Amino acid sequence: MSIRSLELRARAVVEGFWNGLHRSPYHGFSVEFTEYRQYTPGDDPRHVDWRVYARSDRHYIKKFEDETNLRCHLLLDRSRSMEFGTLSHTKAQYAATLAATFAHFLHQQGDAIGLMTFDEQVRELLPARHRPGHLRHVYHAIESPAAGTSTQLGTPIERAADLLHKRGMVILISDFLADPAELEKPLLRLAAIGHEICAFQILDPAERDFSFKESSLFEDAESGNTLQIDPAAARDGYLERFNAHQQSLAALCARVGVSWHPIATDRPLGLALFDFLQDRARRGRIIRRAS
Amino acid sequence: MSFLAPLFLLGAAAIAGPILFHLIARTTRDRTLFSSLRFLRPSPPRLTRKSRIEHWLLLALRCLALALLALAFARPFLRQPTPPNAAQGPARRTVLLLDTSASMRRPDLWKDARARAERHIREASPSDQFAILTFDRTTALRLSFQQWEAASPADRTAVAIAALDTLQPSWFATHLGPALVRAAEELSDTDVSQEGVRRRVILVSDLQEGARLDPLQSYEWPKGIEVVPDPVKPATIGNASIQLLADSPDADRGNDPVLRVRIANSADAKQEQFRVTWGANATANGAPTPPPTEVYVPPGQARILPLAVPTNAPSLSGTASNTASLRVASIALSGDNEPFDNTLFVHPPQPAQLNVLYLGNDPVTEARQPLFFLARALPETRRQTVRISASRPTASPSTESLDNARLIVATDSLPDTLADALRSRIEAGQTVVFAPASAAASPTLARLLGVPGTSLVDEKPTRYAMLGELDFRHPLLAPFADPRFSDFTRIHYWRYRRFATPLPTNATVITRFDTGTPAWIDFPIGRGRLLFLASGWSTADSQFALSSKFVPWLYSLLDLAGASTTPALHPNVGDPIPLPTGRTEPLTLRRPDGSTTNLPVSLDRFTETDQPGTWWLGEGPTAIPVAVNLDPSESRTAPLSVEQLEKLGVQLDASLSSAAAPTPKPAGIPPALEAESRQKLWRWIIIGALAVLIIESLVAGITARRVSTAAQPA
Repeated sequence: MSIRSLELRARAVVEGFWNGLHRSPYHGFSVEFTEYRQYTPGDDPRHVDWRVYARSDRHYIKKFEDETNLRCHLLLDRSRSMEFGTLSHTKAQYAATLAATFAHFLHQQGDAIGLMTFDEQVRELLPARHRPGHLRHVYHAIESPAAGTSTQLGTPIERAADLLHKRGMVILISDFLADPAELEKPLLRLAAIGHEICAFQILDPAERDFSFKESSLFEDAESGNTLQIDPAAARDGYLERFNAHQQSLAALCARVGVSWHPIATDRPLGLALFDFLQDRARRGRIIRRAS
Repeated sequence: MSFLAPLFLLGAAAIAGPILFHLIARTTRDRTLFSSLRFLRPSPPRLTRKSRIEHWLLLALRCLALALLALAFARPFLRQPTPPNAAQGPARRTVLLLDTSASMRRPDLWKDARARAERHIREASPSDQFAILTFDRTTALRLSFQQWEAASPADRTAVAIAALDTLQPSWFATHLGPALVRAAEELSDTDVSQEGVRRRVILVSDLQEGARLDPLQSYEWPKGIEVVPDPVKPATIGNASIQLLADSPDADRGNDPVLRVRIANSADAKQEQFRVTWGANATANGAPTPPPTEVYVPPGQARILPLAVPTNAPSLSGTASNTASLRVASIALSGDNEPFDNTLFVHPPQPAQLNVLYLGNDPVTEARQPLFFLARALPETRRQTVRISASRPTASPSTESLDNARLIVATDSLPDTLADALRSRIEAGQTVVFAPASAAASPTLARLLGVPGTSLVDEKPTRYAMLGELDFRHPLLAPFADPRFSDFTRIHYWRYRRFATPLPTNATVITRFDTGTPAWIDFPIGRGRLLFLASGWSTADSQFALSSKFVPWLYSLLDLAGASTTPALHPNVGDPIPLPTGRTEPLTLRRPDGSTTNLPVSLDRFTETDQPGTWWLGEGPTAIPVAVNLDPSESRTAPLSVEQLEKLGVQLDASLSSAAAPTPKPAGIPPALEAESRQKLWRWIIIGALAVLIIESLVAGITARRVSTAAQPA
């Protein structure tokens, strides 16, 4: 987060990821997942990998799976609760960088990227495209200042379901500090269209652990309400309710078929990207096995 | 350890403040922004933690700082016996400058000044050098450094105090500037050029605004000489003064003689209403004293008051003259706190008596002749009385009348003896106007001029002659030099006399007729002068007597003859009195206090006027009064700011002014104030308190950073 430019940050994360990939034991993952399989008669000889044949004297087909027209929609929460942060960066900054990283990564692969920012309503909407300059528009929209006062996750997802008819991938980035019950219906609707949904929950470590020490007046970032809190006394109750919320969210996602990624802002972004790809690989294998 | 102001120690009770604040600080109102309160329930801080004090180090530092401040304000000092010599520090060379001017006559001032002077003398240590100067109009050395040194150390104080014994405030003005210069010179004129000798002038004075500081402006104050002002303060503030002013230009107008006095009120005065009364001797022969005159003078302002001079009743004065018969009087001002300058001594101007001797054959009743006009042209005024005595030339006027005459006018031939007598008078300094009616007076002119053979010729112009060429630089015509008055062409001359012989070389032609013939000629002879008029002012000769120029010309003539009246003499105390010249025997001078002095013939001025009042020159009815008054500047008693001295370059040592000077205390253990001011422990304590506060700030900063870090979630 020490790099000021969002674009440079995203590029650094992605390139760092690629550089690290050479030493990675998980070689060969990508959205356009490829595999080699033995040539069987009837296969198009154009797909025979002649280099492999030269090395191994066997015919292998280079198989491209889901290779075209992946439409990825980034749904980014810009509400006021995202402005909270106890580290050097806020959740909103982390989320923006994460969204930019995905955008850069997918753009690099030639996928079409769309963006929707929202708080209690949809603020910005960029349709999924893969054009020179589009990425810059995406960055610009991601960087525009947050204006929302509350998070109404249901409404924007409903709206996304209205707008995104063509199936693709939806990456939902939010802190999900809202009632899980109101999420279920919109998510089901979105999934029903055929979108593959990834939910990234951005959390500050303080939200996760409630590691405050001093007694003070706690102010809600969105509503402005205040409560006199002695952290020592309030921690247990908080953690209990917070974990219940997390569990209900995870259960909801499992039920709806959304891949659920809670990420704390102290976790390096590269690892978040890695988690995402690893999860996709696993899902890919599951799907393939199922097929 | 002792304390100069132990009450300030109570300030240490303020320590309770930080302790209280440290306890109260537990219920903080700090706000923490949090993303959502949906998982939180209100949980007020537990009461059991209120009684716990955190940050013991901070609390201790804050309490220590407060305690140190309270200690510093209490001004502690260590009470320990000090050797007397060590307390005095290095040797000092001191000049005590004591004011003895008239303003020190105010109630209690002199007593106070004397006490202060004595105190300063007693404070001098045996190693010091001490001199005493007093000053008013002059500066006098009362005790020199040599006299101080000559006395044995034990007797020095007594010797110095004895030098003060005979002193009393004088009536003179305050000349502070010369006194400071003299004191500085006494200190500079040092054969003891030891290093480290402190040189100072202790100035015991009322430091009044009217003090003269002029010489300081041109004097470069020597380095290393400090002036320690020790001003004495009067019990009352504000002063009004009365001062006689010169006669106004129109003093001759009107019949009532008037004196103009100026009543000034000082800026710090409380009184505004004053009363001016004539002294008891203002009237004589039982005439009623004039009623007092009320005058309102706001503070800081002055009023000029015309005062009618009281006159005696006409029947008693024996003449209907409008001249005041009052010779001397005093005017008193009342309604003022300070009486020392409230009496003004005056002697209203006496009219000067001028004698003019007319030598001619015409009767005074003959309206065409010169004497007729002369007798009427010079009326009596308040300033001067012109007495014209006429004498026929053949009647041989008395020697006395010749001697007394300030101006002699001759219009006819004079007998040789008389002409010679006039010639000798002219040589002695008198002025003679010779305006012969005909050329037959040539022999008289020849005798007067001392040039035998001088002859005149009668001339008669065809119509008339005019004055064509006038020398306005000559004193006789100088008053007419202004173009408004310089037109003499309306005066027609029918006849005139012309010099048939050449003019003597020293003659000055004042005017010429338009024919070129000299009209008025000035012949300086000896110490006097002969003024020859080629044509007189008889109507047979000219229209001069009827012209507007005639009367001014006569006064100009009188001035030329040395008859101008001198203004009334009103010297201040200390000013010299000019004595009458030409005395043949010693003059008796009577002072206001009645004592007399015989003044030798050679003395032309008396300088020792040391008191206000009326001084008399001579005795009997012919004695000349001289009213001597206090210097008006002495009445300006408002305090002079010491900054004014500083502006003039005088180096001041304010810290040692009288207010801070210690009073004598028993020897051995130094007095508390002195010990405290010498030790000045409070300074170190304040520095300590500051150091503690700096440490407190650092610790507080570190603690705050730590607390804020702790506030952040781990």
